[in-house]
Amino acid sequence: MRRIFAWAVLLFLMAPMLAVVPLSFSGSEVLRFPPEGFSWRWYVAFFASDRWLLASRNSLIVASAVAVVATLLGTLAALGLHLARFRGRGLILALLAMPIVTPSIVTAAAVFFAFSVVGLTGSLVGLVLAHTVIAVPFVVIAVLASVQGFDPVLLRAAAGLGASPAAAFRRVMLPLIAPGVATGAVFAFATSFDEFIITLFIAGPGQFTLPRQMYASVREFLDPTICAAAVLLFLCSLVLLLLSEAARGRR
Amino acid sequence: MARRHNRLAALLLAPLLLLLCGSFFIPVARILVTAVADPELSEALPRTAALLRGWDGQGPPPEPVFVAIGEELAAALRDRRIGRVAQRLNFEQSGMRSLLLRTARAGVTSRAALVALDARWGAPETWTLLRGAAGPATGLYLLRALDLVRSPDGAIQPVPKDDALYRTLFLRTLWIALVVTAICVVLAYPVAAVLAGLPPRWSRIGMLLVLVPFWTSVLVRTTAWFVLLQREGPLNAALVALGLVDQPVQLIGTRFAVVLAMVHVLLPFAILPAYSVMKRIDPALMRAAASLGAPGWWRFLAIHLPLSLPGVAAGAAFVFLLSAGYFITPALLGGPQDQMVASFIAFFMNQTVNWGMASALACLLLAMAGAVLALARGLLPGVLSGRFRA
Amino acid sequence: MRRLGLAAVMIALAFGASARDLTVVAGGGPLQDHMRRTLFQPFAAANGIAVADTAYDYNVGPIRAMVRAGNVTWDVVLVEAPDLVQGCDDGMFERIDWSVVDRQKFLPGGTSECGAGAIGWGVSVFYDNHRHANGPASFAEFWDVARFPGRRAMRRGARMTMEIALLSDGVAMADVYPLLATPEGQRRAFARLDQLRPSLMFWSGGQQPIELINAGEVDYAFGFVGRTANAIRAGAPLALRWETLLYTYDFWAVVRGSEHTAMAMRLIESLTDEAPLLALSAAWPVNPVTASVARNPALLAANPLMMSNHVDGALRMDTEFWLEHGSDLEQRFTAWLNR
Repeated sequence: MRRIFAWAVLLFLMAPMLAVVPLSFSGSEVLRFPPEGFSWRWYVAFFASDRWLLASRNSLIVASAVAVVATLLGTLAALGLHLARFRGRGLILALLAMPIVTPSIVTAAAVFFAFSVVGLTGSLVGLVLAHTVIAVPFVVIAVLASVQGFDPVLLRAAAGLGASPAAAFRRVMLPLIAPGVATGAVFAFATSFDEFIITLFIAGPGQFTLPRQMYASVREFLDPTICAAAVLLFLCSLVLLLLSEAARGRR
Repeated sequence: MARRHNRLAALLLAPLLLLLCGSFFIPVARILVTAVADPELSEALPRTAALLRGWDGQGPPPEPVFVAIGEELAAALRDRRIGRVAQRLNFEQSGMRSLLLRTARAGVTSRAALVALDARWGAPETWTLLRGAAGPATGLYLLRALDLVRSPDGAIQPVPKDDALYRTLFLRTLWIALVVTAICVVLAYPVAAVLAGLPPRWSRIGMLLVLVPFWTSVLVRTTAWFVLLQREGPLNAALVALGLVDQPVQLIGTRFAVVLAMVHVLLPFAILPAYSVMKRIDPALMRAAASLGAPGWWRFLAIHLPLSLPGVAAGAAFVFLLSAGYFITPALLGGPQDQMVASFIAFFMNQTVNWGMASALACLLLAMAGAVLALARGLLPGVLSGRFRA
Repeated sequence: MRRLGLAAVMIALAFGASARDLTVVAGGGPLQDHMRRTLFQPFAAANGIAVADTAYDYNVGPIRAMVRAGNVTWDVVLVEAPDLVQGCDDGMFERIDWSVVDRQKFLPGGTSECGAGAIGWGVSVFYDNHRHANGPASFAEFWDVARFPGRRAMRRGARMTMEIALLSDGVAMADVYPLLATPEGQRRAFARLDQLRPSLMFWSGGQQPIELINAGEVDYAFGFVGRTANAIRAGAPLALRWETLLYTYDFWAVVRGSEHTAMAMRLIESLTDEAPLLALSAAWPVNPVTASVARNPALLAANPLMMSNHVDGALRMDTEFWLEHGSDLEQRFTAWLNR
C-alpha cells in the first residue's frame, strides 16, 4: 500500500514533463490533447527563432562563466574552511549558505538596487556575479564533502618528501577533491541555467536567458514552440544530471 | 602550525567572502536601509528640509520656510529633480504631485503668495506631511506594508478598509507556504521511507525519478503545468473522460493550480533530505525492536520517526522558505487572488519604481523567513548536505 | 584553473563590447521588425552610421537605474505617456530639441517637454462574431449581463478599468477624470465593478484577451485594439467595437546622459517624418501621431482597422490624472481584487 502510494507520487513528479513531450510534436497550432498529427515543426521553429537562439546563447555564456567563477572561488573557500581551525568557522559556513535560504525575490531586489547604483545592471558581469552568489554555496558544500576525512598531514608529508606546495596540492589534494569540484561545477552551471527572478530584474533588455524567454512566451504567445523549448531544456537537465552522477561516481 | 593553517585558510576564504559581501550581504543590508530611508525631500529641497527639521510643528511654519520651498521647488523644476520628491509625497498623499508642480511653475516665494496660489499651503496637515518627509528616516513604507498609516497628529492607525491589502497578502503568503509545506511533507515522508527501504537497484531507479524533476528547470515544470491545465489540455480531457466533470473547467488562474504546481516543484526538496536521513537509520534497530515484540506502529513512533525527524524538518523548512518567496508559479498559474508577496515586490521594483515600498515588503518577508529559519535552526545543515548525499 | 579564469575574462570582454552604436529601444515584436526596416535602417544609411535596436517591456526601472549610475547604454526609447512625464520631471530624459524636431507636425497633445509622439494605441471591446452576432456596443451594454450574458475579460489594473466603470454608469466622457479624482467618483466606479465582478476575468499580458476569447474562456473582452486588429487581419473571426475606444500615445524620448544626444534628436525627427511613417504604416498599420500621416486619406481608407479612423469622440486617457492618482487607485484596485 505504502509502496503503491510512493510510486504514485514519483509518477506525479515525472508526469508533467512526459506529457509535454507528445505536445511538442503536435501537428497543429493549438495545444490540444491528444495532439493532432506529428511534426517536427515546433523544433524547427525553435531553431529558426532569433529570440530562442539568442536566449540559448546568453544562457550558455552566463552559466559557463558562473560555473567557472563559482567553482574557482567555491573550491578555494572550501579548502580554506577545511584548513581553518579558528572559532568563526561555523559562522562562516552559515554565512556561505545564506544565499540559498534567503527568498530569491529578496536577493533579487537587494542585488537590483545595489547593482543599479554602481551600474552593474544590464551587464554580463552583473549577471554572473549575482548568479555566482546563489550558485557558490553548492560548490562549497560539494567540495567540503569531498575533502572531509582528508588529513592535512598528507600535504606536509608530500612537502617533506621534497614536493613544492603547488606540486603537493596538484598530486595529493586535487585528485581527492576532483569529484567534489566537478559536482559543484555542474551544480553551479545548473543553478545559473535555471535562475529566473534575479535575471528578470537585473538583466538588460537584450539579455534574455532561456528561463526569461520562456516566461515571456508563456505570458505573451502560447504556441507549441514553448513545448519544444521545454523538452529541449528538459534534455539539457538530463545531461546535467548524468554529468553530476558521473562526477559522484568517480568519488 | 595551526596559526599558519589559519592564515592560509583566511587567504583562501577571502575572495569568496569579498564577492559575497559586495554582491549579497551589503545589498541585503542596504534594502533594510532603503525600507526606512527618506532621502527625496532633503535631496531635492535641502534648505527646506533643514528648516522643517528645526521647526517645532506648532502652528504655521515661519516665513523663511515658505521662501525656501518656493525657491527650491522652482530650482528643482528647472534642474529636473522634482519628479522623485513629487512621487514620494504623492505616494503618501495623493494630490501632492500637482501641488508641488503647480507651485514650482508659479515660482512664488512668500507665504501670502503660496497660500493665494493654493489654500493647501495654509493647512497645517500639508506642513506636517512635509516635516515628516524631511528625513532622514521614515516609517511610512513599513507601516504601509502592514496596512497602517500615521495620521496628521502622529498617531498610528489602520488604513481605510478599502485600502487594506498587505496584511491579507502576508497571511495568504504564509498560508500558501504552509499548505504547500504540509502537502510536501505528507507526500515526501512515505516516498523517502519506501525508497530508503528498497533494495539498492530499485532505490536508485526511484531516486532517479526524484532527481530528474529536481534538475529540471523550474520554469520548464511550471510551463508544463500551464500547458497541462489549459481548458483543452490533458488534465481537463482526463477529467471529462472519467466523467468527473461534464465540460472542461477553468484550472489556470485558480489557487488549486498554484498549489499543485508549487508542490510539484518543491517536493524533491522535501524528499531528498528525508531520504538521506532515513537511509542512515540502521535497519538492525527496527529488527531488534521487532524481536522484542514491539508492534509496527510503536516501532515507527519510537525509532523511525525520531531518527528521521531532522531530515524531514530540514526539508520542510527549506520548502517553506522557498515557497514563501515564490513568484513564477503564482504569476503564471494564479489569478489575482493567488498572488503572493513576491509579485508585489516585483511590481514596486519594476513598474512604479517605488524602492521604499519594495524594500519594506522584502524586509517583512525576510523577517517572516528568518522567524521560520530560527525555528528550524540546527536542522538546516542536513538539508544542504542532503542534496548531495541523495 | 588559470586557463579557465582567462577564458572567463575573455568572455567578459567579448560581452562588454566597444564603442556604442546609437541605440533605439522599443516594445519588440513584429512592429519593431518593421520599424527596423522602414525607420531605423534608412536613417542609418542616410547618415552613414550604425543604429542598433533592442526591445524592452516598457518597465522604466532599468532606464532610471542607468541614468542614476551614469552608465547610459540606450539613446532613444519608446515610452508610455505617464513614464515620459514622470521621467521628464526626474531628469531621466533629455528635453526635446524643437529646433531639430519640427513641433508643428504632430497631432494636438502629441508632444511634451521630453517626448515626441510616436504611435497611438487604444483599448476597446471585442468578441468572437461567430459565437455572438451581436455584442456590447457601449460600456453600459458591456455591463449589461442580462442582455449579453457571459464572461468578460478586463485588464488587471486600475488604469483603463476605472474609466470604463464610470462610463458604464452613464458618466459623460468629459466628466470621467474630474469625477474619478473624488472619493465619491471612486466609490461609484468600484460599485460598478462590484456589480460585474461575478462575470469578470482579468488579463495581464496583451495577447491574453485574444487567447481568452479564442479558447472560449470569456465571451466579451476589453483589450488592445492593435492586437485585435492584427488578429482580424490574420483571419480571426473577431468583431472589434470602436464605440468603446480609450486611447493614448506613446512617445519617443532621449535618455539623459546619452553620448549621442544630437544624433538622437535627428533620429527622432526622422522617426516622426511623413515618408518613413507612411512606409511603416503600409507594412504595419500603426497609428502615427504625425498629423499628416494620421490623417492621410489614402492610408485611412486602405486600413479601416487603423485606430486613427476611430479616435474622434473616443476618450483620451489623462496622463496627469494617472500620475496623481495612480499609486492610490492601483493599490485600492488591487485591494478590491483581493477581497
